[in-house]
Amino acid sequence: MTIDKPPRSEGSDAASAAARQPASPIAFRLDPASGVPTYLQLVQQVEHALRLGYLKPGDQLPKVRDAVASLAINPNTVLKAYRDLETKGLAAGRPGQGTFIRATLSRVALPELAELRRSLLLWLATAGAAGLDDDGIVALVTSALRDFRERRGVAEGVA
Amino acid sequence: MAWVTWRQHRLALAGVVALFGAAAVYLLVTGLPMHDAYRAVAGCRPTGSDLCNKAVNDFLRTYAPGVGVTFGLLQAIPALIGAFAGAPLLAREFETGTFRYAWTQGFGRARWIVAKLVSLAVAVTIAAAVFSVLVSWYVQPILDAGDSNGPLYPTLFDLSGVALAAWTLAAFAIGVFAGVLIRRVVPAMFATIASWAALAFVTGAFLRAHYLAPVLTTNPNIPTGAWIINQGWFKGGNPAGLDTINQTFAPVDVRAITPNLFQPGPATPANLGDPVQYLIQHGLTQLTTYQPASRFWTFQWIEGGWLLALSLILIAATVWLVRRRAA
Amino acid sequence: MNAVETNGLGKRYGNAWALRECTLAIPAGHVAALVGPNGAGKSTLLNLVVGLAAPSAGIVTVLDGQPAGSAAALDGIAFVAQDAPLYRNLTPSEMLHLTRNLNRRFDEGYAKARLRDLGIPLERKAAKLSGGQQSQLALTLALARRPQLLVLDEPMAMLDPLARHDFMATVMAAIADDGLSVLLSSHVLTELERVADFLVLVSHGSVQVAGAVDDLIASHRVLTGPASEADAYAERQNVVHAQRGEAQAHMLVRIDARTGPVPPGWEAHPVSLEELTLAYLREPSAAWLPGPGALRLEPIEVSN
Repeated sequence: MTIDKPPRSEGSDAASAAARQPASPIAFRLDPASGVPTYLQLVQQVEHALRLGYLKPGDQLPKVRDAVASLAINPNTVLKAYRDLETKGLAAGRPGQGTFIRATLSRVALPELAELRRSLLLWLATAGAAGLDDDGIVALVTSALRDFRERRGVAEGVA
Repeated sequence: MAWVTWRQHRLALAGVVALFGAAAVYLLVTGLPMHDAYRAVAGCRPTGSDLCNKAVNDFLRTYAPGVGVTFGLLQAIPALIGAFAGAPLLAREFETGTFRYAWTQGFGRARWIVAKLVSLAVAVTIAAAVFSVLVSWYVQPILDAGDSNGPLYPTLFDLSGVALAAWTLAAFAIGVFAGVLIRRVVPAMFATIASWAALAFVTGAFLRAHYLAPVLTTNPNIPTGAWIINQGWFKGGNPAGLDTINQTFAPVDVRAITPNLFQPGPATPANLGDPVQYLIQHGLTQLTTYQPASRFWTFQWIEGGWLLALSLILIAATVWLVRRRAA
Repeated sequence: MNAVETNGLGKRYGNAWALRECTLAIPAGHVAALVGPNGAGKSTLLNLVVGLAAPSAGIVTVLDGQPAGSAAALDGIAFVAQDAPLYRNLTPSEMLHLTRNLNRRFDEGYAKARLRDLGIPLERKAAKLSGGQQSQLALTLALARRPQLLVLDEPMAMLDPLARHDFMATVMAAIADDGLSVLLSSHVLTELERVADFLVLVSHGSVQVAGAVDDLIASHRVLTGPASEADAYAERQNVVHAQRGEAQAHMLVRIDARTGPVPPGWEAHPVSLEELTLAYLREPSAAWLPGPGALRLEPIEVSN
């Protein structure tokens, strides 16, 4: 009984996998109750790590196999997340090696940030005067954000 | 596949070996003394003298009943093998659900079942064949001594020659077939024992006697070791009952207890001679149908042949059912 | 390439049809979840796919057109039945030997390493292993055959949450390594969301929903709005299932070419796989069975 294909890698848990070769600086976690699709959670975690400095350009993202073995999720989900990051220009795949961070998130300049914050505070005051409480404000912002994304997605031809 | 079969069914195979082994030990333990005793009897000279005849009769009287009982018990062996090695083969796969594993492996179910059936069938047949050699050795002194029960006698016939191997194979085939039909181990075992026993009974009681047309004779001297199928008295073409026999015996005061057993009385003349000859001289005819001992091997091949054919048919049917059977 | 294709497939036991008019195309390289209530016909469909049962009507082919149950199909498909049947008086080491002898291809090194990692003793009789260990053993034997399609019937029924996680992690890792296709049945929906990217919903012997999870999610949404307008809306739209209160109603709708924008006063929410599945199960007459052309699944390349 011969084996046609190369032997499968052994060892299943992320710890033993990490011990064999240089690990990615980050590891993924999953919040099954959050209501956010899995692939999006992975994308958000990468972006968050970039923002906080855990990931820098040149760092490797977790190998698909390792992410899948520790989270028990579909490999296609991880691939979809990585493709998303590639589309956004944040990551790039190197055949046979993995997926690596390519660029940082575009930083908003400090003066711009301050200006945005000021106009937001004004809006919050208006919303409060109209009678919206905190939860109402959050609901409104979330809904408007979704509409905004949808329209921008349609405009850019991305599903 | 041989390892597969051995490992999975090692309990059944061990059981077969244990069963034959225990029986073999028993035959050796009781047979060796019997062989020694017969050597002394066979060496008695002059042969045919009253002394030597008495030695032979004493020998038979001592050993023949035990041999008869032994053979009665040994009849169970093929049925047990069929039930314990044959019936669970497929029935357990269905009962435990392991057929869902076995029938979805790469080599498929046909190859799987054929390999199992062939290797186990061959194993039990060989074990039985070897054992029947020992049986033939065991019974030889009794046959040589001229016991009235010859080699064709039912409980001896199916344990010797090729018959035991054929009956064991048939029991195995009945067992696996019952297993694939019934799909539960214990019911399949019972069905196996019941059907095998029925088949053996019908064969011994009715079928075997007619493999070749029995010999019909009026000669009261039946060859040694013949298997008497029917023996009866007739007068003028009609069956003669005990009354008729006793009427004929009246003048010499002999009483017939059975058509073969005659008891002399106080008024019996001393020079009467053979009561059987007396009856013949006085108008009765003794009609005997028998199968001569010389036909032993012919009958063995006939019986072995149709049992083999039956086994092959049942095994083929089992394979066919396995290939057809849906979950 | 399609892992499984059926056309008008049906199976009858006696006078009752356990499955009828089943027409499906499950693409390769994906994890297809077969979902439905108990007795819906899931096990029947799986038995037909792996060749344990023969169709009463229609046809079923696997691995790009091979007849189910043929030699090529048996070679390329590994099946773990419900309750992971094993020979109870054989040890894992003997089960490995047995499986190796029954297959053309068997990666014994992988199997032994896997069992070692899981802490399953090789020389203890299968009857003495725990339920979780038995399931893992059965899965290991199946994966060591390096199949193209792995079929699992209620694989996690006997497992505690940690064992379930380990089980699925093993399967997902095997997909990442080998590009294996998986077809698994379950009546526990919550765990399937993470792993399934193709859904087949079977109810009362027929297929109600069959399609890629992404397509399913993208083509459904929940509309929330005034209950008074719900009926009028329902006539113009494909409503799968509606839940009404006195003033407010939620409607799970199907989006197609005819669907207009969200009406004023109504809100649209994305729908979860579980919500969608439950809605279809509650509405036996609803179905979502796009033709083969509507399935636009991209080929999967595992680059690392």
